[in-house]
Amino acid sequence: MIDWILLAELGVNGIFIGMMYSLISLGLVLIYKTSGIVNLAQGAIAMTAGYVAWALATVSGLPVLVVAPIAMAVMFGFGLMIERIALRRMIGHPVLMTIMLTLGLEIFLRGLLPGVFGAAVKRLDLGIPQAPLFVGELLLNRATLTGGVIALVLLLASIWFFGSRQGVVMRAVADDQTASWSVGIRVERAIAIAWGMSAMAATAAGILWGATQGVDWSLSLLLIKGLAIAILGGLDSIRGVLFAGVIVGVAESLATGLLDPIVGGGTRDVIASVIILGTLLLKPHGLFGEAHIERV
Amino acid sequence: MKMTRRTFVASAAAGIAAPTICTTGAFAQEKVVRISAPQDFTRIYTFVTSEYSQGQRDYFTLINERGGVGGYKLVIDVSDHANDLPRAIEAYERGKREGAVAIDPLSTPVARALVPRALEDKINLITAYSGRSDAADGSVFPYVLPLSINYWSQAGLIVEQFKRIEKGSLQGKKLAFVHIDTPFGKEPLPILEVLAKREGFTLNAFPYTPPGNDQSAIWPQVRRARPDFTVFWGAAVGQTVALSEAIRNGLPMDRVSSSVWLSESDMDVVGRAAAKGVMKIEPCVGGREPKIIKDILAEVVGKGKGAGPEAKVGTGYYNYGVQMASLIAEGVRMAAQKAPNGPVTGPWLNAGLTAIKNFTAEGLLPPTTITPDDHQGGGMGRVAQWDGNKFVPITDWFTANQDVVWDEIRKYSAEFKKSGK
Amino acid sequence: MFYRRSGIRHTRYQSERQLFPLGFDRFLILSVLAVLLAAPFLFDRLYVTGYLLPWLIWSSAALGLNLLMGGAGQVHLGYGAVMAMGAYGSVHLMRFGAPLELAMIAGGLISASVGIIFGAAALRVKGIYLAMATLAMQSIVDFVISQTPAISGGALATLQAPPARFLGISLSGERETYYFALLVCAVITLFMLNVRRTSFGRALAAIREKDYAAEILGISTLRYKLMAFWVSSFIGGVVGSVLAICYLRAVSPDQFHLDLSIQILAMVIVGGLGSVLGPFFGAALVLFAPILINNALGSAFSTFGMTVPIDLRAHLPLVAYGALVIGFLLYEPYGLAKIYSNVRTYLLVWPFRHAQR
Repeated sequence: MIDWILLAELGVNGIFIGMMYSLISLGLVLIYKTSGIVNLAQGAIAMTAGYVAWALATVSGLPVLVVAPIAMAVMFGFGLMIERIALRRMIGHPVLMTIMLTLGLEIFLRGLLPGVFGAAVKRLDLGIPQAPLFVGELLLNRATLTGGVIALVLLLASIWFFGSRQGVVMRAVADDQTASWSVGIRVERAIAIAWGMSAMAATAAGILWGATQGVDWSLSLLLIKGLAIAILGGLDSIRGVLFAGVIVGVAESLATGLLDPIVGGGTRDVIASVIILGTLLLKPHGLFGEAHIERV
Repeated sequence: MKMTRRTFVASAAAGIAAPTICTTGAFAQEKVVRISAPQDFTRIYTFVTSEYSQGQRDYFTLINERGGVGGYKLVIDVSDHANDLPRAIEAYERGKREGAVAIDPLSTPVARALVPRALEDKINLITAYSGRSDAADGSVFPYVLPLSINYWSQAGLIVEQFKRIEKGSLQGKKLAFVHIDTPFGKEPLPILEVLAKREGFTLNAFPYTPPGNDQSAIWPQVRRARPDFTVFWGAAVGQTVALSEAIRNGLPMDRVSSSVWLSESDMDVVGRAAAKGVMKIEPCVGGREPKIIKDILAEVVGKGKGAGPEAKVGTGYYNYGVQMASLIAEGVRMAAQKAPNGPVTGPWLNAGLTAIKNFTAEGLLPPTTITPDDHQGGGMGRVAQWDGNKFVPITDWFTANQDVVWDEIRKYSAEFKKSGK
Repeated sequence: MFYRRSGIRHTRYQSERQLFPLGFDRFLILSVLAVLLAAPFLFDRLYVTGYLLPWLIWSSAALGLNLLMGGAGQVHLGYGAVMAMGAYGSVHLMRFGAPLELAMIAGGLISASVGIIFGAAALRVKGIYLAMATLAMQSIVDFVISQTPAISGGALATLQAPPARFLGISLSGERETYYFALLVCAVITLFMLNVRRTSFGRALAAIREKDYAAEILGISTLRYKLMAFWVSSFIGGVVGSVLAICYLRAVSPDQFHLDLSIQILAMVIVGGLGSVLGPFFGAALVLFAPILINNALGSAFSTFGMTVPIDLRAHLPLVAYGALVIGFLLYEPYGLAKIYSNVRTYLLVWPFRHAQR
């Protein structure tokens, strides 16, 4: 009675969608790993990047793929700026206030960019053909397929990066800020670079999602999915993002296929929430996250 | 450091203490009808509001440039309520204090919260393409005026159109209804269920989670269900994603339709050529052909008095704004005919609005008749098809399945009445 | 000078321990209260129903959340869901014919009993993880409400609040609803002022500072964390029902989404964590800054005859609101209440600054 082909198709597409979501989580993890802050403006930064890419492509008349590296560079600078202007001054304040600060940033960006560029949905064309692509009886969605592959490459690249010298520096900062300081690591700089890189990850997410759904404020809603993946994988583990991205993507996709007809409603988002909650209650630090031992 | 902090506090204080009352004194000497239009420019309805509002304001400028209607100038106060109830209620109260006789919030949640207030205060609440569908029942909602075909009627029209495509019978056909999983998305379901029984087609509903930026798991199921017809029902980003997923899944576009919420800019996002064949409901004529739009181009936009970019004039949602504005202006004209010297109050305008008869705004609207009982205006619309460049009407103005629609309207309005407000 | 502290000598413990030992503070509070009581007769209806009523209701909600966040240090991003349960519970009960007084309490109890489940997460995780857990619960509650027609009220998903009577007075006019909201707000405020002086409040403070340390001191963190969630959710539920009955008059699921939770969270943090005065300041800023900026921009643009694209003009208040939140956090992370208390401390001994302790 179960339609296996449908399940396979949902599963495959779910993997790629999950990869695309995990770009948001990658940004979250980079920031959390180095500075212990959960950046609730990550979705809005992705939205900003979508607008930046759109503006660059429109002004220059070049294809989006050509301006994407420029957009990444711009966003890297933007990430550095956020850290320097706002977050650095919050060091030492309770975590709640930094959360609120990132929420304030989210509101600010969500007003600024649609205000400047206009609220109507913008088209961001990556030049991926829309025609259906059949593999046997399975239909693969070209847009998510491309997006998923790009996301996978970026994720692998960032795992590789953490093996490089700068990556080791950042891991040291993540491990113990004071100790890193004492051996001459510039902690602020490492954190700033983390913000810049996370903004770059957000740029990739903004462009890929902008190409599938168009650029408008709703790109900032990607945050929740990103959070689910980041928490499931462990907020400080990039490897975790990779696995959790696949798990969340497939789980959501299958839930839509299997549960929706039973419940009679869209279960997709609630699955993300159940995953967050389940992870936190059963294994608070995620699948690959490090448990921190607390001392009084 | 100290100075900057001080200036920061000072500027923040100045921002808070800044004068709050804003009224345009330009028309102080003349007889005016004031319409309050707090709308959602920044939150959920961003996809429609700026074009809609531009159309409204351009039309009112046109009327005022020509000397007003029935001796009255029309003043519209536009503000942003961001779909936030405290802000909307504040705007409503402010509008009321400044003497607004109609309010057009263009948001379903806001309209819901304003319904009891408008009924109490006797202020005309315009709920075009939003708010409660049962507000079409004027006997229960005397001061709530949709003035446009509600979603139930739109669903009725779509089914009728499919029936025409199938040469008169939907017996044994399959209809997939892909909708956003919100009250708005679920609204047409009861009508479709009744019609499915009556016409003999099977109905499959596929809800997707709001806001609908990811529907990749929905459409493979739709494809595999092999529907003869597909209706997608959402707004903003959900619409463009739905349409592109429908294309990617290879559904035949000329058997896919949506509600009134499909615009040229959505087509830009999806890709103009790829979306060829998709249908939508047109509540009024689109494009720049109607005489009123030509007049606006010549007399308002041509003279540099346009409220927004010229490129947007004549888009679908722009014309919806002109449609609403022309209906309000016609209501003022009728009201002025009945009682030329006012006083301008909610009931005064209401009497005018509910006396609108076979009004077409020089070819922009289907013949619209609003009576104290029927606030929908007859439920006329037409189906338009995207030809790769623009929406081309493929039917005349028609109405269908109104019996089912009115059963549903009466059911809910009776429920509302029973709840005691 | 203003406070005239010199010469105040407390001769009894009772007078030193009263809520407001300084005469000037008492005077200030009483005059604010007098203005609030007289407001429906002093001000236009616009200001009473457009400003004061939502201010009182949102402040009460923020007070309830502040007990949890400022008092016990537990982060909560799902307060909107808690209020939703109170609102739906009470409106449903009233539709079955229960009197308002009972429905309100029952709404509070429903919220409290579900809210305590939110609290169960707090036993397991804390800080940022608790924030995420409550965020997830918010969307689960949203889902359940909007997917259950029996709760949300059928295809239109709107439930009208039936006409209510409180202690025999009909709450239909704007004055009656205003006084009702004022009464609820006053009761909650009094509770908040006093809760810190009870063993319960002190236990919460200990948990806020360090829960392990509190446990070692003999405070059952399990019990007090759950109690903090219970009390705070009860208040949230009651305020939710006041919100539904006095202000919204019709409940639908989208009114209680994450947006509301974040709005109230912003009120608490911008106002000042742990302060009783803070939520009032925070609510005023968060609710009215966008409106005032909007109106100020409108009048500025029309007087100077500027034509600003409508999209930009409409988004500027949002930009300014975001900037205000960021600005206040950077300038004074402990919120508006802290700014007030700085001013107060300065004025306490003004102009004799050197006399400051």
